[in-house]
Amino acid sequence: MFALRDLQGAFANHIRGEDQSRLEAAVVGDAIPAAARLRVYRHHVEQSLAAALAATFPTVQAVVGEEFFRAMARRYVVEHLPRQPVLTEYGAGFPEFIAGYEPAASLPYLADVARLDWALNLAFHSPVGVRLTAADLSSLPAEGIAGLSLTLAPGGAVFHSDYPIDRIWQISQPGTAGETIDLDAGGVNLLILRREDDAAFVGISDAEMAFLSAVQQGSTLESAAQAGFQVDGAFNPSTTFGRLLALQAFAALQHGVAKSASKAP
Amino acid sequence: MNTTRIAIATALAAALALPATVQAQGNMEKCYGVAKAGKNDCQTAKSSCAGTSKTDHQNDAWISVPKGTCDKIVGGKLTAG
Repeated sequence: MFALRDLQGAFANHIRGEDQSRLEAAVVGDAIPAAARLRVYRHHVEQSLAAALAATFPTVQAVVGEEFFRAMARRYVVEHLPRQPVLTEYGAGFPEFIAGYEPAASLPYLADVARLDWALNLAFHSPVGVRLTAADLSSLPAEGIAGLSLTLAPGGAVFHSDYPIDRIWQISQPGTAGETIDLDAGGVNLLILRREDDAAFVGISDAEMAFLSAVQQGSTLESAAQAGFQVDGAFNPSTTFGRLLALQAFAALQHGVAKSASKAP
Repeated sequence: MNTTRIAIATALAAALALPATVQAQGNMEKCYGVAKAGKNDCQTAKSSCAGTSKTDHQNDAWISVPKGTCDKIVGGKLTAG
C-alpha cells in the first residue's frame, strides 16, 4: 500500500507521462483495466490544459495550426503542470517554453507572438481601474506635471519584438485575407492596454518606448522625456504624453492629489 | 529650473490642451474576445471520451511542419530547425 503522499506523487508522475507500475497495481481493474483508467485521467488533464492554452494563446495557434499547437501544448503541460487553480493564469512560462521548443525553431518569432498573447491575456484579466485624464492635471503648474511619477494603468505593459508581431497578429485573426508578412520588415514596440471592454495594443516609437520604460521604472515625466530625447532628438513629449492620456494608459493619481514636484537638481 | 526642464515641463503641460479625439487615433488593435468563454475545467462528454484514447501523445517527434498563418510569414532570420 501507498502512503497518501506517495500515492499522490505517483499519480502526478503518471500524469507527467512516467511509467508507474506500482500505481497501476493499486488501481482497481475490472471492466476497464487499471492502466486504461489511469490513461483517461492523463488524457483529460492534457486535453483540458491544452485547450486552456489554446484559449489564452489564440494567435500562436493560428500561426502554427491546431495540430501542431496541440502537440506543443501537451508537451508543455506534462512538463509544467499548473501550480494554481485559475486556468486563465496558466501558461506564464509558455512563451519561454516555445523559445526552446525544437520543432518550432524554424519560427523564431513564435515566442514573441506568445508574449503578445500572454500580455493581452493579463491585460484582459486586470481590473479596469480609474485612469488618469488630462482634466486631473489641469490644476497643476507645468513643473508639477514634469515632476510626477506615474504608473501604467493595471494590465498596461510595453514590450519590444525584433519581428513585426503586430502584423503577424493581424493576419492571424479569423477572416483575414491572404496577405504576406516579410520578417525583414523589422521589429516593433507595443503598448498593451486594458480597455473598458477588451484588451488592445498599439504601436509606439523607439523614443516612446524609452519614455514609457522610464515611467515604469519610477522616473518622473521629466526624466522619462529625457530618456525619449536620448533615443530620438526629434521626440515630442507633447504629442506622446497627449496620446498616452487619450489612450488612458496611466492609472489615476492616488488620493486624487498630485505628488509634489521634485526639486530641481 | 534650467532651460531643458522648462522646455520639457512646458511641452508636457501643452499635452493637456490637445484634443483627445485627435490623439487617440492611430493603429490601435482592439482585441475583442481575448478571453474566450468557457475556459473552464469541465470538458464536454465528447472531450472526456477522447481522453480514453488508447494512444499516448507523449511523443511529439512526429510533428514536422506547422500549418497555420506561418505560411504567410516569410524572410527574416529563418533557419532550419
